[in-house]
Formats: sequence, structure tokens, C-alpha cells
Amino acid sequence: MTIAGVAPRNAVTPSGIGELAGVVRELYADGKPFAFVGGGTELELGNAPLALDTVVATTACNRVIDYAPEDQTITVEAGMTVAAVCAALAEHHQFLALDVPDPERTTIGGAIATNAYGRRRLRFGSIKDNIVGIAIVRPDGVTARGGGKVVKNVAGFDIPKLMVGALGTLGAVVSATFRVHPCSEYSAAVALRKLTAGDVLRVCAEVVNAALVPTSIVAFDNGGERYDCVVAFDGFRGGVDEQVRSTTDIAERLHFGASQPSPAELDLLEARERSARCEAPWRVQLGAAPTKLAQFLTQNDVSGIGRIYYPAIGSAILTGNDMSAATIERWRNDLNAGTVVVAAMPLDARGTVDAWGAPPPSWPIMRQLKTNFDPKGLCNPGRFVGGI
Amino acid sequence: MAAVSDFIAIVGERNTITEGSELRTYEADGLPGFRVRPAVVVLPETTEQVAACVRLARTLGLPIVPRGSGTGLSGGALPVEGCVVIGLSRMKAILEVDLPNRRMRVQPGVINLNISRHLAAAGYYYAPDPSSQSVCSIGGNVAENSGGAHCLKYGFTVNHAVGATIVTADGDIVSVGAHGGEPDTLGYDLMGVFVGSEGLLGIVTEVVVRILRTPQATRTIFATFPTTDEAGAAVSAIISAGIVPAAIEMMDQLAIEAIVAATRVDWPLDVGAALLMDVDGVFAEVEHTAESAIGALRAAGAIEIRSPRDDGERALMWKGRKGAFAAMGRISPNYYVQDGVIPRKEIVPVLRDIARLASEAGLRVANVFHAGDGNLHPLILYDGRIPGQEALAERVGGEILKTCIRYGGSITGEHGVGFDKAAYMGDLFTEDDLATMQFVRCAFDRDVIFNPNKVFPTPRLCGDRPGVYHPHATELAEVAGRG
Repeated sequence: MTIAGVAPRNAVTPSGIGELAGVVRELYADGKPFAFVGGGTELELGNAPLALDTVVATTACNRVIDYAPEDQTITVEAGMTVAAVCAALAEHHQFLALDVPDPERTTIGGAIATNAYGRRRLRFGSIKDNIVGIAIVRPDGVTARGGGKVVKNVAGFDIPKLMVGALGTLGAVVSATFRVHPCSEYSAAVALRKLTAGDVLRVCAEVVNAALVPTSIVAFDNGGERYDCVVAFDGFRGGVDEQVRSTTDIAERLHFGASQPSPAELDLLEARERSARCEAPWRVQLGAAPTKLAQFLTQNDVSGIGRIYYPAIGSAILTGNDMSAATIERWRNDLNAGTVVVAAMPLDARGTVDAWGAPPPSWPIMRQLKTNFDPKGLCNPGRFVGGI
Repeated sequence: MAAVSDFIAIVGERNTITEGSELRTYEADGLPGFRVRPAVVVLPETTEQVAACVRLARTLGLPIVPRGSGTGLSGGALPVEGCVVIGLSRMKAILEVDLPNRRMRVQPGVINLNISRHLAAAGYYYAPDPSSQSVCSIGGNVAENSGGAHCLKYGFTVNHAVGATIVTADGDIVSVGAHGGEPDTLGYDLMGVFVGSEGLLGIVTEVVVRILRTPQATRTIFATFPTTDEAGAAVSAIISAGIVPAAIEMMDQLAIEAIVAATRVDWPLDVGAALLMDVDGVFAEVEHTAESAIGALRAAGAIEIRSPRDDGERALMWKGRKGAFAAMGRISPNYYVQDGVIPRKEIVPVLRDIARLASEAGLRVANVFHAGDGNLHPLILYDGRIPGQEALAERVGGEILKTCIRYGGSITGEHGVGFDKAAYMGDLFTEDDLATMQFVRCAFDRDVIFNPNKVFPTPRLCGDRPGVYHPHATELAEVAGRG
């Protein structure tokens, strides 16, 4: 196993949260740099750590701590896989609104650390919108909690949100409480074909304008410059049918071909989405205002590049076998007021391009946060934004 | 006096308050019973003025208490001795509306309801709707992570305020969060942690909010029950059945009595409890959800279930609910409001415990609250003219909070910890939890100049830096004496 290309000297898998805290306390006391790992699906994200002695795996911390279906909340240890949590919830016809490409491997802790999200963010928000409590093991090995187990709570600073997307640089997420959602009784989708990025955005605008409530809108490059776009709805059958009809009407009005895709076709598209997010040697995640992102995708020649485009979220994943630092830098300039994060790059490209891009103006506060949590700089050092 | 004239040089004479009845306005916020005289109040009109005031206060060693509309119920804007209050009420411009990206940029003094009013013609609105929304400001909402009735479906301020310009303890102007409609920003989620930080991390001078398309349809349902037991069971049944209303509010008999007296809304007085519920979404979905909810209400033992006759009656019902705290004046000389949270399945036993606590103390408690979120607002009624009753009401309030903690809940769902509940933080969090929160505070404000003595149970230091600044008596006298 390597983390952003760097191999650790040791790897340990503590059997529980208490043992994990003990391991971290010892590493910290001994001055040995460490990093945390869950299912290991996003080890390429970020810059190479400056130093790495031990990798501490959370995977054996994998119990459901408390599931209150009648309250729609669940508390789980961070090493549980997303699939295992979903399986527990499915028994009560509920789900966690968290899309990851490899749910059998991705752990809850890893999803939190990387701020993982996918298509359903449009309707259900990101992890930040669904996490209500957290427990962490700080870099010094101390266990601390933030938030709680109830869905509404403003006591104390929002430590759960601070940990989302922090890439384990402020400590290990060891458990988390989420609000979960009831499963819907019916799903259906409309596929619109051969759209430009501008057309896709126009469809989004019309769907919003009609006050429809899609679960997701995903556009896939069709192998060339254009996109096939799937607008999906979930809910009670009558409501879903009504929204499918309205979306079809919108497509007709805009003179776009529309049809209801078959389950097989939807599966195929989902598989494409998963592989784009897991397998390509270069994976670049763009984030920008929906209008700016559409403009970027229109003005840049991205025809040879794989594109999974979430137009209403303002996010796209560009994939390819062959990209370059110069391309990434150009995209960063073009996108301006957005983010261009290199989620994966080949080993020989490491060092040629910063995975994150220039840090934001608030970086000095982030740097101080890191120093306060990890004064010795031992916890995943150098991997995060601006060398944190 | 040098200090006051320096503040006047920044914000002008008309925006500097040092004496008289005007100053008294700023001695308290919505938390009754506490008044502290600030040294000076400034009402800046620009971000740069806020920054200059912070730098000046820092130079003078004055603690800073930020303030929005002053409607907070936990004493978050209660001055500390000798402080400068920086009020944002004159920064109330709407700066930008970006409908295609569904974002809006506003100054912090903009009143919550004015955001939705500004957008109504375009068919958009801002979701968080605290009951004080006609007077509370968006800056205050950011500080408190304000909720509201419709947060059940749509989330709280933290889910909707996505970016901000803040002035830090060093007087720097810093942008945090997403300003341009992008879904995420690089690095730690400073905006996520800033929202709800109760004025401890900085002063917000611009806010970027998400705005939502107005739903196709909204249906309001009003239902009455023999007691709060059946009403509480109805809420639990609705939530656990997977029905997602936009809001479910509960009122008990005393609350109904007060609301009817204040608004003349046509609600029966001979019932034990009522629920007011909104269901919204696309037309067909709304009808279906409403019918499911009505089925659950009936099964739980509702006496009467009805919908408002027209938009006017709907508005009146919601006005009644949102004006419930103020309506308490109709049935009691004074009241003390609590804000606890419990798991939603525990509404019935907790309401019984609250009733028992009140009866043991010989006080009445009215309940009007966000039942769908399990966010209780017991209103403890007392007569301040009777010696000892106020303290008794506070004691009952404290016992209610401990009850919430015992049931696995929290000491505040939306009013904040502020000054009022700092002492209870130690019941909810461990020393290590609180120390970890201090790491955050000290990253923003190492000298603890913003809102000292709020939220945390004991004054704390950042590393070996000096902690809460206590101005010298002569310094205080100088500032206070010449205004």
C-alpha cells in the first residue's frame, strides 16, 4: 500500500477505537509521522505526505453503535463500509444519502475524510448536510466528540463539519452519527441525448423553474463532444410520474430527444460513473458555479476526455490516460473561482502538479487550526491543501 | 476621550453610542434578566469600518461583542463589562442575486424575511425561518445557526449559508466558504464551523446564501388531540413512517390558549394539544404525503383534522405559531423559554417529565415547539413580582435541560449556548471535547477578544497567551466617562 505514492514503514489495524487511540498516542509521543486509512479507495488523493512511518487502519472499528430507525439516525464506527451501513439501514427501509463508487470498500471514515459525494447530492446534500455528530482521535491520541445524536443541535462548535474533507489531517474520524432518509417507493428517469454542456444546463434551469425535485441530474460524455443526460426522480409513484411527464415536456419544448431509459441502460451508465471515479489514471474533480462550469466545458476542448458531469451541483469528473500538469494549470486559470482537484495521477506525474491548486485566502487560519490540533506536525503531514 | 473619538473617526458620530437610552438598548438582547453596560456601541456601515473598529478595540484592549438585531434568546449578544459592541444593523444591503446559480449575497444586517420577500416575485425563497424572522438578521442567524419550523425538511442556516466575508480578531478581512456558487472550497470547512460559532470566531460582514425555488404546492394541516401524549405519538408515527413534512409544530393547551388570545385564530380551547403541519413539493406528491400524514394523525387519536380555508387563514395560523412566545404575555406576567432537543421518539415521556417538574415547582409550563425535529421550547410561566419565582423558573429550566441530556439530546437546538447555558456545556461535553473546540477558537482568535465568557463554561486561554482581557479600571472610566 502507498499513500499518494509513499510507502509507510509499518501498517497496523487496531481492534477497536480504544486501541486505536492508544496506538496514535504512542506514535505521537515517539514523534513518528502517521496517516489513517479506511478502505483505501482514495489513497491517491492529495499530495505525497512529507513523512510517513505508520499507517493506522480503521477497518476493524466496524460496528453499528446505535441505530434508531424511528428517529432516522444511525451512529456507526468509522471503519464500517458504506455498503454495510446501507445493509443495516435497508432492514428498516432507510438509506444513507452518500454516493461512493466502491461502497463495498469505502468506509464511513474515509468518505468523511474525503468529502465523498455523488449524484444524489443534488437532493439530499453532501455529508456535511447529513452528519450530526462525530468522535475523533486527535493527533495526540485524545478522543473527542462534537455534535450529538439528535438531528438538531447547536451546542458548541461544529466539529463534525470541520472533519469533513479534512483528509485525516486533524485526527482520525472514529465514529459518526448521520441523519438517514426513508427509501422511496418508486423511481424513474428521463434520458436526454446528444446535448451540449449548455443544453444540459438549460435543462437543469427548466427543471428548477418548473419546481420539480429531481434526485439527480447526471450527464455522461457520449464519446465525443456531446452528453447524454439522465434526470432521475424518486418518491411516491404519482409524484414521480408527474415529474417524468413534466421533464419530457421540457425536453420536447427544447427539441431534445427524450426517453425513459431501460434499467439495463441505467446500470450501464452507473457502471461508467463508478469506473470513471475509481479506475482512470488521471481523475480531476472540477467544482464551480453551474453556469461557470457549463461555460468551461463549452469553451475548453475536452472531447478526448471522459466526463461525468453533475450540472446542477456544479461538479464534474474529468478522466483520462494522459493529462499533463500544464493542462491542469490551464484549467485552473480558466475555471477561476472554482476548484480543480487532482484526485488521482500517475506516479511519474507526482511533483509536477499540486493536487489541490493554490490555497484559498483563509489558508492562514487553516494552518493555525492544523498547528493547534497537531503541534508536532505528525498527522498526515504535507498531504493537504497548501502543504498542511 | 481619545478612545471614543477614535471610534467616531471610523464610523462617524451618528453611528457611535456612548450614553443615554440608546446605550441602554444595547445592554441586553432577547435573554431577559441580564443587563450589562457596554463601554461603547458602534454601528459600522462597511466591512472596512468593521475591520478598523476591531483593530482599534484590539489596540485599546477592549473585548468585542458582535450583535445583529439583538433578538437572540441565549445572551449571545449580552455585553461583557467594558466591551465595545459592534452592531451590524446598519449593514442591510442586498448585494447580489444570482438566480441561475441560486445564490444571493447580502450584508449581515438584512432581515431574514426580507431575503424571501426580495425573491418572491421571481419564485424563490430562503428556507430557514426562525419564528423571529421578521426582525432577526441574517448575520445573527449565521452566528447562531438559526433554525425554524421548516428546517425539518430543508435544514438549518448551516445548510444554506455557504460563504461569508468575515473580519478576524486581527482586523483582517477574510473570505470563507463558497462565494461563487461552487459546491465546495479547498481546505478545511471554515464556513461550516463559523456558522453557529456565536460570535466567538469573528464578525460576519457579508453572507452568501443558497436560495430555493418555491414549491409547486404547500398544504397546511391542523389537528387537535385530547392530550400531548396522542399528539407526540402522532409525530413519532409520522416520522417513523417515513413521511417527510416541511414542518410539524406542536402546541399544548396553554400555548393554544395564549395564541388564540393574541391572534383570534379559530382554534378550539378545549383540547390538550394541537399540531400544525406543512407538506410541500410537487402537486401529486403533496396530495399523497398529506393523505398519509392525515391517516397517521387519525390513527394516533386526533379529535379534529382540518386545513385552513384560504391563504389568509393559513397565514394567520402560522402567525399564531410564530408569535407564540410573545403571546405568553396574555396568560402570564413573565415566562422563561427553554430550548432543548430530544430524540423524536421520546417526545411523550419527556413532556410528561417536564409537566412533573413544573408541577413539583408549582409553576405552569406551556409547550410550543418544533416537534418534527424533537426541538422543545417549554415556556415556564412565572410572576416576577413574587419573590423567588424567577429563580424557581430558571431552576426548572435547568432541570429540563438535564432531562434532555438524559434522554440523549442536547441543551440547545437553535437558540445557542451564549451566556445562558455555558454552565451546562460540561454536562453535555467532556473536558477533552471542550478543549478540542478551543483549538478551533484559538485558530481564529488567539487572544479571546470576541465574545469572551460565552459558550464555554470556564474562561480559557489559548496556549500560554493571555486569555480574557480585563481592562484596567481607569481605562474603563475614561471610555465610559467621556462619551
